[in-house]
Amino acid sequence: MYLLILLNRDDNGLKFTTISKWEFLETLKSRKFLTIFFLQISVLFLMIFVFNAFATNIESQQGISITPSLAGFASLDVDDEGRLFSKYINPDLITITHSTFDESMENLNAGETMAVVLVPEDSLDKIRDIGTIDVKLYLDQADPKRSVVRDEVNRTAKLMAVGMSNSWINSLTPQNSTPEVVTQESAGESLPMQIITKAMIAILLFLPLFLFGNMIIDSVVGEKERKTGEILMAMPINPSDIILGKSMAVLGIIAIQIAIWMAILLITGFEISSPILVYLLVLITAVPVIGVTVIIAAYSKNYKEAGIGLTFGYILIVGFIMIPTLAYLSNKSLISNISPLTMVMRLFSGDIIHAYEFLIPIGFMVFLSAVTYGISIKLFQRDDVVFGPRPGLIRLILEFVGLKKCIG
Amino acid sequence: MIKIESLSKSFGKIKALDNLNLDIKKGELLGIIGPNGAGKTTAIRIICCILKPDSGDVLVNGMSIHQEPIQIKSMIGYLPEEPNLYERFKAKDLLRYFAELYGVPKDRITGRIDEMLELVGMSHRADDRINTFSKGLRQRIGIARALVHDPEILIFDEPTMGLDPATSSNIREFIRDLKGDKTIILCTHYMDEADSLCDRVVILDQGKILDMGTPNDLKSKIHGDIILNIKVEDPDDGDIKLIQGLSTVTGVDVVDNQYTISLRSKKDINDIINVFEGDILSINTKEPTLEDVFINSFKQG
Repeated sequence: MYLLILLNRDDNGLKFTTISKWEFLETLKSRKFLTIFFLQISVLFLMIFVFNAFATNIESQQGISITPSLAGFASLDVDDEGRLFSKYINPDLITITHSTFDESMENLNAGETMAVVLVPEDSLDKIRDIGTIDVKLYLDQADPKRSVVRDEVNRTAKLMAVGMSNSWINSLTPQNSTPEVVTQESAGESLPMQIITKAMIAILLFLPLFLFGNMIIDSVVGEKERKTGEILMAMPINPSDIILGKSMAVLGIIAIQIAIWMAILLITGFEISSPILVYLLVLITAVPVIGVTVIIAAYSKNYKEAGIGLTFGYILIVGFIMIPTLAYLSNKSLISNISPLTMVMRLFSGDIIHAYEFLIPIGFMVFLSAVTYGISIKLFQRDDVVFGPRPGLIRLILEFVGLKKCIG
Repeated sequence: MIKIESLSKSFGKIKALDNLNLDIKKGELLGIIGPNGAGKTTAIRIICCILKPDSGDVLVNGMSIHQEPIQIKSMIGYLPEEPNLYERFKAKDLLRYFAELYGVPKDRITGRIDEMLELVGMSHRADDRINTFSKGLRQRIGIARALVHDPEILIFDEPTMGLDPATSSNIREFIRDLKGDKTIILCTHYMDEADSLCDRVVILDQGKILDMGTPNDLKSKIHGDIILNIKVEDPDDGDIKLIQGLSTVTGVDVVDNQYTISLRSKKDINDIINVFEGDILSINTKEPTLEDVFINSFKQG
């Protein structure tokens, strides 16, 4: 709403776009910025390299576990009379309960299990006759851990299929009469690694939001330190144009960074489901993150103060983004969707997401943006904040909440 | 053109402006002089709508700074004390950036930039970055920036502060050339600068006007028109009485063997020389300066 009011003013049109354009172009021309940008991309490559090496190491070394407490991570009810299928599922990760199909489905509907596997009763006969076995998997779509179960069941099914095919081929060639032993290749921690990989990609995608804090600080606090702000304030524009113009320029840079980031992740083999939706979710998160940074920058006298403020501000933001996602992984709930990271994780998991669920993080981001930019603009409109002597934080907060009279 | 009405502004417990009233006519070059902390910069920042006053108003062409700050800002070209420019910009890009912010029509921007660079003698440095310029060159670009939208009002805050004499002289020439076409406010510490450039001078201290008038009016208020310095071989009290008896003499001071005599006109100079009867070692006349006015105002203030 606040942004709409700003855009619709009739006094000086969209002057903030002039500031955005020049800030954006001059930033892209800056060697210092390009060096930092290149270094950030290099660090991303390094992180991908280290992560891949780490993942490969975990998958190749039996007995080495980075997640020793994953027993019972996921649950699966199995209707498999001949125990043909279920004995190959990793029991360290998935707790298997043998029951009838009806009982299993009741458990699934009651939320007591994440998935149900139905293996046909005549499966042993079909194997002997070299027939097809139709294994059915029922998943709780609302549970984020279902992807672990689904992947493990798929892996087991493939393993079984390969084993049976080899066995059939061997039976046609009598000289190779040694019975084929079906063994499962050690997956080590491969199942939780799927979640770790998804989380890793999601976090990497949100990382650029925190790499440009110094750029905003330099843009806003720099005006005070270099005293160029005085000239800018003398221009026929409002303080809101200055704040919006500078913020939009940084948002443009972040948009490019995220796009490059996503391209690199895709090129290096990471799978990103619904990339456009993911891109938009990350980008919309950038808006209030920039807003918080601008508040810190608008209030700070110098770079040192802004740096300290930024540390605390970003800890809060990371907490806000991460905690709902962690909560979602352990216990599904609607409110966890407030964090865009949760939505990105759900998109990665192939979850079916209703439109109203998207409205939760987007609506909250829009609300946060309006609040943070509103505060930034209010701060930047004040002589005492820009030119000093700057009022204390408590005084400012009391003034904002309308208790000015209480402090005289 | 500019009417300042009961303007007051405090920073915490410090009163920067105290009920300031002032009228500036169209085409006038008004000088504001005063010691550090007198309120000069605060006054011009309020006129430029950079600061908001605690009370009072400034009317520019009848428009209030409270009601129409954007329109007022677009009429003013402001050159602050420090030539703070964006270091990474090229000179011509900087001018283009500010021309766009001032709303100069796109088809006129390039021509206006070339014109301004030529005016300040910087055409050959148009493609150089600001961080390669000396303070004097930055000040020239600052002037070009303040003029890029062809404003009706120009406000210069200490434009020659810290510059070498040659560059200062150049910048004074720019200001002199602009005189008459534009309404100009010039804040300065340099009394000779205010004396030579300004139509009218305001002496400000602690946010209040101590004195105001044309440089000549202000100078004539303190010492009369002429000051005569005479060094003699052997001072005599009788000579002092003779000089004080002359009709145009307004004051006589003696320090060691030097007489300082204030006169209203040149009429009695010959009579004074005759009083000393060939005892004179040296003689010179000195007209009062704005510095004398400034010091005198503070003594009285």
